[in-house]
Amino acid sequence: MSTGTIATRTEFAHSAETSHAWAQTMAMSKRSIIAIVRQPALIIPSLIFPLFFAALGASSFNRATQLPGFPKVDSFLALTLAASVLQGVIFGSVTGGAALAVDIETGFFDRLLASPTSRVSILIGRLAGNALFGSVEALFFTLVMIPFGVNIRSGPAGIAVITLAGGLIGLSIGGFMAAMALRTGSAEAVQGVFPLLFVSMFFSSAFFPRETMQGIYRTIANYNPLSHLYEGMRDLVITGWSFDAVLKSLLIPVGIGFASIPLALLALRRRLRAV
Amino acid sequence: MAVMSGTNANNDSPIYAEGLVRHFGDVKAVDGVDLQVNAGEVFGFLGPNGAGKSTTVRMLTTLLRPTAGVARVAGFDVVKEADQVRRRIGVALQDAAIDPLMTGHELLALQAVLYGIPKAKVRDRSRELLERVGLTGAADRRVGTYSGGMRRRLDLALSLIHQPTVLFLDEPTTGLDPMSRLALWEEVRRLNAEGTTVLLTTQYLEEADQLADRIAIIDHGKIVRQGEPRELKAQVGAPTLVITVPAGQLDQAREVLRSFGELRPTAEGSLGVGLSAGAEAVPAVVRSLDDSGMQVQHLALNEPSLDDVFAEATGYRLEGAASASGLPQAQGAEGGTGKRGRKRGANESASESA
Repeated sequence: MSTGTIATRTEFAHSAETSHAWAQTMAMSKRSIIAIVRQPALIIPSLIFPLFFAALGASSFNRATQLPGFPKVDSFLALTLAASVLQGVIFGSVTGGAALAVDIETGFFDRLLASPTSRVSILIGRLAGNALFGSVEALFFTLVMIPFGVNIRSGPAGIAVITLAGGLIGLSIGGFMAAMALRTGSAEAVQGVFPLLFVSMFFSSAFFPRETMQGIYRTIANYNPLSHLYEGMRDLVITGWSFDAVLKSLLIPVGIGFASIPLALLALRRRLRAV
Repeated sequence: MAVMSGTNANNDSPIYAEGLVRHFGDVKAVDGVDLQVNAGEVFGFLGPNGAGKSTTVRMLTTLLRPTAGVARVAGFDVVKEADQVRRRIGVALQDAAIDPLMTGHELLALQAVLYGIPKAKVRDRSRELLERVGLTGAADRRVGTYSGGMRRRLDLALSLIHQPTVLFLDEPTTGLDPMSRLALWEEVRRLNAEGTTVLLTTQYLEEADQLADRIAIIDHGKIVRQGEPRELKAQVGAPTLVITVPAGQLDQAREVLRSFGELRPTAEGSLGVGLSAGAEAVPAVVRSLDDSGMQVQHLALNEPSLDDVFAEATGYRLEGAASASGLPQAQGAEGGTGKRGRKRGANESASESA
């Protein structure tokens, strides 16, 4: 072995010790974004299906906006924008969770674990990708619906909040999906959660205001945090700018994230201990 | 430690393990492995699927906690100082787990960040490695379009990004075509010549024979032989004469052969005998069989090989090994059931022959 080689080795070992978890997190998020961008077959459904549901809802239920208790809206489409955002983000988060599970299944996760990477960076990098995609989706749905008559009454500031909320929802739902992926190591198991999340939307005010619901359905919707999230985002669309709407739009996903991200970290710790 | 035969035995060796054990529930995947790999050595870890090779490697590379025992790699404890170990080792695991959506360049850049290599050096280092493994032209293509051999070579390049002092290669040539296998062997030799200590697991005897300075044979989680290939072959002793006679004459032929040396396990339908006099004794054996009225259909004199060492140590032969005497071969499954089934068959056959 040449002296030159020894010097280089020492240099690299030293620089590794001083490397930042931040750079590792950014590199991991870049990878997760590359994975999203290069798999159109996985991403297009998460952009198309929510729009399809929104179009279906608008054509079927537009006259429901005349029902007593229904907030004053220009169209049913304006009411369902928030639901479209959440549907898209759930799709995207399930895809992100499944990708993490695939990493575990194929051994790529082991490659990462065999390196001096911060374990938390592996998880946060993945979630950061989810968050970015969530923001892009929220902005996409908003911009697509504007030409179809959806008037965002809170203006560009409201669009910015909806976009940010999309990112936070991606982060928080992504936390649950990552926890599932780390717990099971199975992409199928992660994908199996999708119907459950989708059903939880129907037990909320995603498609109809709580005022139009009754009985146990309304009780569940009252306690479902998603109802309050939708209402915050919906108010930004149909009513205008208010701090209450902004707080609901941003703090509810943050609250969900306070539950899901520790759960994901716990699942990560458990997986690392199990090996 | 019974199996430790390396020189300069001490726990400052690049790879050192003592009493390494790993259980998965009731299954003892690794059962008291003692190992020492000296600096600058290529160490071959040989065994069938399910023998405990990969589990041992996973413990040494910090991916799996030992149930018992201690191991030090690059001078650091694999459990207590796992992060220090990770900074100094390169790992290419069994399945070349590489993200198919990324390009070779992107993966090298990612790996460089994970190891904290300064940005300014990443480009040069990547270029150097891609050139080294012959992937310069394919560097901007997605890995999903690579052949198996290209993936393995990229996997090797990724494991070398930080110039590790110790390199673990877990079955690096499994599934590769002969040309890719030879290219990878050449690269391992080159790395070793530059001073990298290599632990290589393989189920190919020829690979171990070609590359390893020393080998350990692992079976059922235990190391059953360890040493230099030449030494181990010498321990097996005399060459084996393998003959095939008509099925009805096997018992009679066995009696004749017994007078020339120790009978050795062979494949069903043939007989093997160790000839301490080597080739000089062959005419006498053939004459004797002829005098007894037996018709020799096929005859071969095989010098001891690692296959014989393996067979002598375990009682069966590795699948795909260049069989000296045609012994039944092990075809394992992780978890051991399949392998044990085959091994039992091999033993039965061996005892039948003997």
